[in-house]
Amino acid sequence: MTGPIAQQTSGTSYSQQRGSSGSGLADVVDLILEKGLVIDVYARVSLVGIEILTVDVRIVVASVDTYLRFAEACNRLDIAHDGTSQGLPQMIDSMQESGAKKKTKGALAGAQERIKETFGGSDEEEDEKDKQPARRRSKKEEDE
Amino acid sequence: MTGPETPQATRQGPVVAGDQAREQANQEQAGQEQQVPQYVYGVTSAEAKLAEDVVGLDDKPVSLVVHGRCAAVVGDLPQGRPLGERADLLAHQRVLDALVHAGTVVLPFRFGAALTSREAVKSELLETNGERLAEVLDQLQGRVELRVKGTYVQENVLRELLSDDPEIAELNQRLREIPPEAADAAYYDRVRLGELIANAMRNRRDHDGQQILQALASLAERTVARTPVREEDVVDASFLVDQDRRAEFEQAVEAIAKDGADRVRLRLIGPLPPYDFVPEGT
Repeated sequence: MTGPIAQQTSGTSYSQQRGSSGSGLADVVDLILEKGLVIDVYARVSLVGIEILTVDVRIVVASVDTYLRFAEACNRLDIAHDGTSQGLPQMIDSMQESGAKKKTKGALAGAQERIKETFGGSDEEEDEKDKQPARRRSKKEEDE
Repeated sequence: MTGPETPQATRQGPVVAGDQAREQANQEQAGQEQQVPQYVYGVTSAEAKLAEDVVGLDDKPVSLVVHGRCAAVVGDLPQGRPLGERADLLAHQRVLDALVHAGTVVLPFRFGAALTSREAVKSELLETNGERLAEVLDQLQGRVELRVKGTYVQENVLRELLSDDPEIAELNQRLREIPPEAADAAYYDRVRLGELIANAMRNRRDHDGQQILQALASLAERTVARTPVREEDVVDASFLVDQDRRAEFEQAVEAIAKDGADRVRLRLIGPLPPYDFVPEGT
């Protein structure tokens, strides 16, 4: 609920909310490892046999965990609805709207910077991309 | 020594003082590391200039091996350890990214390409494939890859699901009435609720994702759509966009993002090296 509607890979709200780290490499790691020209297919060459660490790009959170996460989010959602404060959801909405607009603009204007920022991130684990955004949002909701 | 010499003549002919001097000069030119295995980051055009401060794997310098219309972007291969750590992936991307941001066309190689020497890069990669590579570079000239990822705004889409799907609403209501101390007993019901939600989200995304794709595909030369990994992901697609239309494309992303701000959060990633738009080997 608190993220911008459009943003660069990092350097905007997500990474700021979480301190210095970003989810940058997660956004391109599949391309680096699975796309791009493959040299030994394209050319008949004397390749150097190099050992590549096996990296499972498609780390998916186990389904059950995902399901429980949704159930939990749903449960929390209801609590917010039944809360005594009528004004709260509306307040969040309006905050989100204004925040989102600002960030969208800044994000797209700064397109050139994007990848530099992406890779300026810290040592976030690849698989965290699967869990973090939702958790971050949930946290933020609680805080508000 | 007078007259033009072919490389062959140099190598096979009798070694005289002039040849030796020239050979040595060549060695020095190549940093005396002609036999060091070379990691290949990608291929760019022969006229490309590398930024001086860009370093590759293990912060080693990056250089070009030029032949004909193409130049391979290479650097010494780190020895004695397997590649693939986070820093390695970042280095690979950093080198290619520097070219993209300088407006230089580049054909990104998949992570992990290496040849036995600079000479091998020239003779085996560039001499034999130079024409094909040059053609691909021509096609990619002036174009960049932009990746768009969309994720549902979870809270709002959950609300939609609760109001649209009686089964979800009912189960959610029932679970809410279970006191916290009995929550363990309802474990499988919670899993079931999450599963229903996940399935409903996937159904929704087919429609929502398609709309976003269609709106953007017309502004791109080519489009590659991926199946999103997570249930709450709506769209994940790469677009090959002409530089002249990039502003237009980004405005379109922005417009879609604004229109659907309450439901879908869009992110634009790039410009990226055109990973998705190089020829695929068979």
